[in-house]
Amino acid sequence: MYFRRFILGAVAAAPLLAAMAGAAQAQTVAPDAARAFIQQSGQQLVSIVNSSATQAQKADQLRDLVNRIVAVDQVGDYVLGRYLNALTPQQHQQFQTLFHQLLSYNITYQIKAYQGISFTVNGAAQQGNDMVVDTTITSPGKQPADVGWAVDEIDGSPKIVDVIVAGTSLRITTRNDYAGVITDHGGQVSALLDAMQGQITRIANAQ
Amino acid sequence: MNIKYDLSTLGHEHAAEEAYKVRLQKTNDTLAVQAKRVCCLGAPALLLATALSGCAHAPPRADTAAYEAYQQQNDPIEPTNRFFYAVNDKIDRYAFKPVAQGYVAITTQGVRNHVGYFITNIGEPARMVNFMFEGKSRDAGTSLVRFVVNSTIGIGGIFDPATALGYQEQDTDFGMTLAEWGVAEGPYLYLPVFGPSGARDVWNIPVEFYATPMELAPESAALNDFGWAQTGLHLINTRAEYIQPIDQIRATALDPYATFRSLYRQSRASELQQINQRNVLTQPDWVWPAH
Repeated sequence: MYFRRFILGAVAAAPLLAAMAGAAQAQTVAPDAARAFIQQSGQQLVSIVNSSATQAQKADQLRDLVNRIVAVDQVGDYVLGRYLNALTPQQHQQFQTLFHQLLSYNITYQIKAYQGISFTVNGAAQQGNDMVVDTTITSPGKQPADVGWAVDEIDGSPKIVDVIVAGTSLRITTRNDYAGVITDHGGQVSALLDAMQGQITRIANAQ
Repeated sequence: MNIKYDLSTLGHEHAAEEAYKVRLQKTNDTLAVQAKRVCCLGAPALLLATALSGCAHAPPRADTAAYEAYQQQNDPIEPTNRFFYAVNDKIDRYAFKPVAQGYVAITTQGVRNHVGYFITNIGEPARMVNFMFEGKSRDAGTSLVRFVVNSTIGIGGIFDPATALGYQEQDTDFGMTLAEWGVAEGPYLYLPVFGPSGARDVWNIPVEFYATPMELAPESAALNDFGWAQTGLHLINTRAEYIQPIDQIRATALDPYATFRSLYRQSRASELQQINQRNVLTQPDWVWPAH
């Protein structure tokens, strides 16, 4: 049952699955500011997914929103972890481009799962360097899921750096996912770039 | 040819025949139960033995970062685990998932919720015992109250009035009990059919098999059938809830095996942390009133 709650929460937070990571030079955000930021961001997200726009329009709007509220570049670097230093500047640039693209595809994939959701913002508490805002996400026909949003101050404004579902960090999950690809190919970082490109091609062909 | 019937022995023969039938029935039941026991108890040992046949190559110690990452990953039999993951993936795509989809098509979310309550309720006695072994007597009490309330007012566990009364479900299992006793999670294991596990958590399988209320009831064919039906329903109902998230992980993860491994490890660590953080007073407030 615990795992069920966790997995349902993971679905609720899924559009940001590939994006959640921490930023090294982040500043801690005050609890009230973090709650207000999540409240505002959540309302924008809900109004997009529940609007009468077409799927393509919604996908574009969501991409813009995510780029505004999520620290995507910092997330990408966190996900690379120790392999960041193994990349050439060109490879790093290529990785960031692919990472943004994959995030867009993942958001498009999840739009339907977000139909009809609503959320309430609960408390906020500091965990490590992050301010984590707790929310309860309700989807039609599903049990409410508790989802935590880690917020850091990046370049003077609050940004989401992680999603935590029942104690499970999505930035760590993504880092382990990517590390799995690299270690499975004898430590070759280029294998990760190939896998990301392959995934993008596969999704593009399927659409 | 004279055939003489001895009426006095005819009754005995009949009785013997009946006794034989009963013995046969019992033997069949016993065989079924024994088969299940062998499966459950033998599974961990068999898997550990099989697992040794495929080991990952550790990076050299000189490569400190890679070696530390390998140690942290703690998946020394990764090739074997990946093989079983691929097997399960096939079984799931061609058997479990289609069945779960059919189940979803003929049931409503409400029905599936009630099936979930029912399955959870059957697991409460095992949770109570595990909480007791963990020294969490308040949590054990909660499980007991939940089982009693939901089995009676909740009509055999189909409803969950205990939550409304303030006794919310709190999860644990034998893997958590071992963790509380100081047993480390050990190497990661991916089991055929059962899925993600570990050297510590694998012992949860035989324990869960025995720790059901059905084990306390007298052995009977009907109870066996109920046990199998309940296990099947549990599998299908649970898989039905995972259709969307599993599809999502398969579609978006670059390495689904590594993703499931990470999710499993994190969720187990979080579960243990929750049990310890919720470590409420083990005696009622009225025994030692607050000053």
